[in-house]
Amino acid sequence: MSGLANNLNVYLSLAAIFFGLGLLTALTRKNSIGIFMGVELMLNGAGLNFVAFNAFLKDRSDGWLHGQVFSLFIIILAAIEAAVALAIVLRFFGSKQTIDPDVAVGLRG
Amino acid sequence: MTFVDFFVGFCFLLGALSAVVVAFHPNILYAAVALVFSLLSVAGLYGALGADFLAAAQLIIYVGGIIVVILFAVMMSEDVYKNRGVGGWKGFFAPFIISVAVLWALLKLVNQANWPRIDVPVREHTVEAIGRALVGPYALVFQYVAIVLLAGLIGAVVIARPHYHEKSSGSNLE
Repeated sequence: MSGLANNLNVYLSLAAIFFGLGLLTALTRKNSIGIFMGVELMLNGAGLNFVAFNAFLKDRSDGWLHGQVFSLFIIILAAIEAAVALAIVLRFFGSKQTIDPDVAVGLRG
Repeated sequence: MTFVDFFVGFCFLLGALSAVVVAFHPNILYAAVALVFSLLSVAGLYGALGADFLAAAQLIIYVGGIIVVILFAVMMSEDVYKNRGVGGWKGFFAPFIISVAVLWALLKLVNQANWPRIDVPVREHTVEAIGRALVGPYALVFQYVAIVLLAGLIGAVVIARPHYHEKSSGSNLE
C-alpha cells in the first residue's frame, strides 16, 4: 500500500464513477441543461483518465505529456460545446418558451 | 498518511458524492451547484497528479466559464423548483440498469487490470513542456482546434440571434 495519492486505481475509479453517473444523468434528465451536465461529467471522467495514465506513464522517452495535451483539447472542445449548446437552448427557448427536450419533436418525420 | 493522500481522498469523496447529487437530485439548480464541486474535485486531482497547468485550466474554463453558462441556462428552465427533474420512475429504470452495468464493468476493469506503470507519479512543472508540445508535435491539432473554436463561436452567434426574416411582425424573443 503506497498511499492514496500514488495509487492509480483511485483516479481511475473516480473517472469510472464520473462516466457512469454522467451517462445516467444524460439519459434520465428531462431537461436540456441536465443532459448537458451529464455530458460534461462524462468528459471530465475521460480527461481525468488521460491525466492519470499520463502521470503513471512508464515510457517517458519522448515528451511524456501526451495525456495532458489530450485532456487540454478535451477542455477546449467542452468550452465550444457549451457555447453551441447555450445558443441552441436560447433559440429553442425563444420559439417554444421551454427547454424540455420532449417538446423538441419538430424534426420527427 | 501524508497531506497529499488526505487531499486525494477528500477530492475522491467530494467528487463521488457530488456526482451522485448531479445524477439523482430532482432540482436542476442543486444539480448544477453539485456539478461545480465535482469539477473542483477534478481540478484538485489534476493538481495532485502533477498537472499544474491543467488544474488551472480546469478552474478557469470549467468552473469559471462553463458553470456560468450552465447556471445562466438553468434560469430559463421554468420548472426549477418543481420536482420533476428525473422524469418519473417508468423512464428511469432502463437507463439506470445500463449505467450501473457500465459502471460495474469499468470498476471491475480498473481493479483487475495490471497496467504497465511506475509506482510514484512524476510531479514536475508542466507549463513549458505543454507549450513546447502545442507548437511542436501538436501544432496541427492546435491550429485545427483554433478553427473549430472559431467556427463554433460563429455558429453559436448565428443560431442564437433572432431570425427577423422569418416573421414579418416583431420577434418572439421579447
